[in-house]
Amino acid sequence: MKIDRRSFLSLGAGATAGLAFSPLPWKLMDDSSIWTQNWPWVPVPTDGEASYVDTVCSLCPGGCGITIRKIDDRVVKAEKKDSDNANSGICILGLSSPQLLYSPSRIKTPLKKIEGKWVKISVKEAVAEIAEKLKDLRKDKLSHTLACISGSSSGTVPALFERFLKAYGSPNFITVPSVKDVYKLVFSLSLGSPYVPVFDIANSDFVVSFGTGLLDGWGNPAQAFKAHSILKDNKKKLIQIEARLSNTAAKADKWIPIKPGTEGVLALGMANIIIEKRLYLNKNILFDSVTEGFEEFKALVAKDYSVKAVAEITGVKQEDITALVEDFMKAQSPVALFGRGEGTIPGSLHEMMAVNFLNALAGNFNKAGGVHLLSDNSYINWTEPILDDTAYYGINKKRLDGAGDGKYFLAKHLLNRLPEVLNSSETSPINMLFVTDSNPFYTMADTKLVREAFEKIPFIVSFSSYMDETASMADIILPNHFFLERYQDVVATCGLKPAVGLSKPVVNPIFDTIHSGDAVIFIAKALGGTIAESFAWDDYKACLDETLEAKKDIMDKELFWVDESGVFNAFADAESSGKFEFINDKIRQTKPYTFVEAEGEKKQYPLTLIRFDSMRIASGYTANSPFMTKTVADTVIKENDIFVEINPKTAAEYNLTDGSKALLTTPKGKAQVRVHLYEGIMQGIISMPSGLGHSGYDNYLAGKGININELIGQIEDPASGFDAAWGIRAVLVRV
Amino acid sequence: MSKGSKHKDKKFGMVIDLDKCTGCGACMVACMSENNVPFKENESNKLDSITWMRVYKLENGKSFPDADICFLPRPCMHCEGDHGHAPCVSVCPAIATDYDHKTGIVSQIYTRCFGCRYCMAACPYHARYFNWWDPVWPEGMEKLLNPNVSPRMRGVVEKCSFCHHRYQLALDKAYADGRDKIEEDEYQTACTQACPANAIIFGDLDNKKHAVYSLKKNPNTFRLLERLGTNPKVYYHSSREWVRRAGDNYLKHETTKA
Amino acid sequence: MSETQKVSASDNKKKDAGGTTILFFLIGVAISLALGWIIFPKLLYSKKSQPIDFSHVVHSEAVGDCDSCHFFREDGTFSGAPTLAECIDCHEEAQGDTEDERIFVEEYVAQNKEVPWLIYSEQPDSVFFSHAAHVKKAKMSCESCHGEIGTSDALPIYEENRITGYSRNIWGKNIAGIKKHTWDRMKMNDCGECHEEEIGDKGSCFQCHK
Repeated sequence: MKIDRRSFLSLGAGATAGLAFSPLPWKLMDDSSIWTQNWPWVPVPTDGEASYVDTVCSLCPGGCGITIRKIDDRVVKAEKKDSDNANSGICILGLSSPQLLYSPSRIKTPLKKIEGKWVKISVKEAVAEIAEKLKDLRKDKLSHTLACISGSSSGTVPALFERFLKAYGSPNFITVPSVKDVYKLVFSLSLGSPYVPVFDIANSDFVVSFGTGLLDGWGNPAQAFKAHSILKDNKKKLIQIEARLSNTAAKADKWIPIKPGTEGVLALGMANIIIEKRLYLNKNILFDSVTEGFEEFKALVAKDYSVKAVAEITGVKQEDITALVEDFMKAQSPVALFGRGEGTIPGSLHEMMAVNFLNALAGNFNKAGGVHLLSDNSYINWTEPILDDTAYYGINKKRLDGAGDGKYFLAKHLLNRLPEVLNSSETSPINMLFVTDSNPFYTMADTKLVREAFEKIPFIVSFSSYMDETASMADIILPNHFFLERYQDVVATCGLKPAVGLSKPVVNPIFDTIHSGDAVIFIAKALGGTIAESFAWDDYKACLDETLEAKKDIMDKELFWVDESGVFNAFADAESSGKFEFINDKIRQTKPYTFVEAEGEKKQYPLTLIRFDSMRIASGYTANSPFMTKTVADTVIKENDIFVEINPKTAAEYNLTDGSKALLTTPKGKAQVRVHLYEGIMQGIISMPSGLGHSGYDNYLAGKGININELIGQIEDPASGFDAAWGIRAVLVRV
Repeated sequence: MSKGSKHKDKKFGMVIDLDKCTGCGACMVACMSENNVPFKENESNKLDSITWMRVYKLENGKSFPDADICFLPRPCMHCEGDHGHAPCVSVCPAIATDYDHKTGIVSQIYTRCFGCRYCMAACPYHARYFNWWDPVWPEGMEKLLNPNVSPRMRGVVEKCSFCHHRYQLALDKAYADGRDKIEEDEYQTACTQACPANAIIFGDLDNKKHAVYSLKKNPNTFRLLERLGTNPKVYYHSSREWVRRAGDNYLKHETTKA
Repeated sequence: MSETQKVSASDNKKKDAGGTTILFFLIGVAISLALGWIIFPKLLYSKKSQPIDFSHVVHSEAVGDCDSCHFFREDGTFSGAPTLAECIDCHEEAQGDTEDERIFVEEYVAQNKEVPWLIYSEQPDSVFFSHAAHVKKAKMSCESCHGEIGTSDALPIYEENRITGYSRNIWGKNIAGIKKHTWDRMKMNDCGECHEEEIGDKGSCFQCHK
């Protein structure tokens, strides 16, 4: 036997033939195909028991009842709560809450900045250090140089901060203002009490909105959307008056473009026609017995707001104005909405008063389809904090923002005045600043100025859950739990009634964070003395339980406790004359009617830049989740470029084509942008979304676009002192 | 096709009211969250941005002030074509997508798909998306994954499933309760459930008791590219003539059916 | 002469070579068969033991049917292997005196740690299987798919496919894929086969995939 090459070939052939009769190749083929179908690096979600936990969303002031889907102990999804009551509803932001819970930009532990770098510290160390610094200030009789910026003014947590400042000895508790503050002023001037209006849109048959972003994030978006759908089902009318074809304008039965900033003028012009034609008499109200100052008002609008003059100022045709008035007064239950966009900028007091006069003339207060007036509910009945001499000395110092004093007599808080106050003094009048539930370094107009001002403050404590723009400028961060990890009361409305909802922890805190309510109580305890005595609760939970008392059982079951007594019933309830006052001394003191104009020289800046709000871009303290940013159109953000909308005719004047790059300059700053030609915007006006251009947070958000607050400055409303800027003059140059 | 099945076949579909849709994008997020849709740092290139449900913005083409816009949510149309010959199903060489005659749902089986993308070319609605990259969930965010939907890998096509897993879950519940049938509200897609405007109505198009049955008959109701013969199961409703016209390529002299 | 000799020699050589070729061919076949049928399965699967042993017999005598521990949740989904929360009901402290139970109580119950059971019937993530449809609606027994595990006194060795990472029970013990019982294999075709017999068609993709 000789083994040669052929033998080996034969061996090979035999082996091959043999393999075909063995399971090996077939099994390998099957296994390898299974392997390619299940790459080990593609995650396999772990299965488990599904459960649903109800809670109240506190990501915006809407306070919706939502339900969270869990698998074992992890949150998987947020959903609409399956219920008709309990303020149930959900919007794109609420749906994003699971992503925000597990977001990479969450702050995972208390942090301290040492030589520009973040160092992890324990809650105990952070509290001790803050308390130490606070003690030193008190020793120097400088307790009033502690200030606090709070994103919200309602509920127990802001109330704890306010109480802390009082007990410590500082008057400088400042809340981030919104349109709600101006709403309250409108009614405290006209009805003597700071009612909060709730517009009964679902039951109205004619809704006229003066730039209110009914479908762009205003009020409680989920409820607004529901109401709008009911309007559509009932075939009732919605009229939108604004310069840009917003989503609300697009859904409206009629869009009336108007020169921005002249909405108040239009409202007064409409009032003039109603009075002139005596249309208000059709409403069967004993007008003279329920109103005051009518004659004076009548004379005023007749003099300055003739339909001809109004048409010229607003750019709305005379016949459109008269037709609008007729339709409005012919309707059974008309209602006029005020408050621009989603309502994050407070806006002009006189403009809102002017629109509200239409509601008064239509006599729709507290009627189905009209304006319902709710008093701010007062379920927090704590005893007054105990003040020692230092505290007493401190709280009697003047507020830094000047609110409640002199020409700012109407406002309670004026955050927008703070940068100017800080910048106008050599050394910072604030030695320590608490920032809770807010991101002022991003949300305040004229960001550069704001930054300059706040950089002067020697010590900033942030309570933010996220590494946002403000937190990254802080010296110590005591990160709050996310709302899905904590108890908190949320002030809301259920239907047309004031209510308080209860956020409940859906999961245990996933990081080493601390409830801001606990943080305040612990700091107070560390300070000792009367301050500690003013915070006798063991922790926030104890404080909340005590505050809510029996309401808590209802809230545990129903999520909301509805305050049946908080509804304004009749004009006779009003504290003053019991009548709707068109003019009175207080109103005269505000020098009616002045409307705010855009900042900048027309010659140098021929265009006007306005902001627009979008449901898909969160512009407040809460920022976008990755999913939300994913929904933003490529005509708003492309790569990192932001687009400004411009009318094609205007674009042609500036030699701009769709998508071309341009330099946008305003009196406040410059930015490289791209242009998007849009037929839904007036000539000469350009618009840009709010909520982009973050520098903080994660790579899913940071660096995309421009923060419009860098380009727009604040304009003090001469009547209230609040920021009333609706835009700024601008120029676009092709690059 | 199951001729022998005891139960009447279902034909799940949607009627979307474009008069109510506000373009808020809640349906998109609800869908992505429900179906483990991945996300990247830059999603501004809409050609590679996976959105099973995508809200399009339509413009009427007129100048200011007559300009008008309308938002149109676009899930998979789950085309029935002619007896289940949906455009995508007919071209798939891998049987990775099929038409289920029992539900009227067009499936997509990721482990079966090998990424040739014929189906994407065949779909006239751009409802199908290709995974150009492996999905990446930043640390901690993998906790959000829904176990009822399997995450996809690079190189496969994915699309809206009408949340078929929710149908399965509803059936599970029914079987456990000793029932065979499920009620209309027991099976709803994530987008339908999330829509704050209640613009999306979902149900069995052949079931007289379901809301979609009568809604689809409204004269202002239309389907996208209806004349292609794709026989889609998503209906739209709009009171605006220009929106209805935008649903297909009408010549100037042609009128919509309404 | 020398020519013929040469010829016959080469003839012999040829014959010899033919035999060698066949021999080598057969050796080749034999090696392959041995490799494919005997060595390959041994190489393909790695053997793993469960973290602790478990007797189904003892437990079913104590608590009754399968669904005492492998139950349906209220929403109709199936719980699968019991979690610590269920075991703790009885095993807060050791019930007997086996070593495995001691380990279970000390290392898992006391430390509140889930037992990392290896699941013999674990399917890939792309598979959707409804226990409710099979057990509740079609009234199938557990054995039809899971075999005799419920009457076993000890847990079998878990064999993991080195390529796919799935249990050997999916393909079946028989490397050729030949099955004697309905529970011998759990591949897609096995599902299809039964569905075709019982319902009349294999069903659509989404019936079993997610």
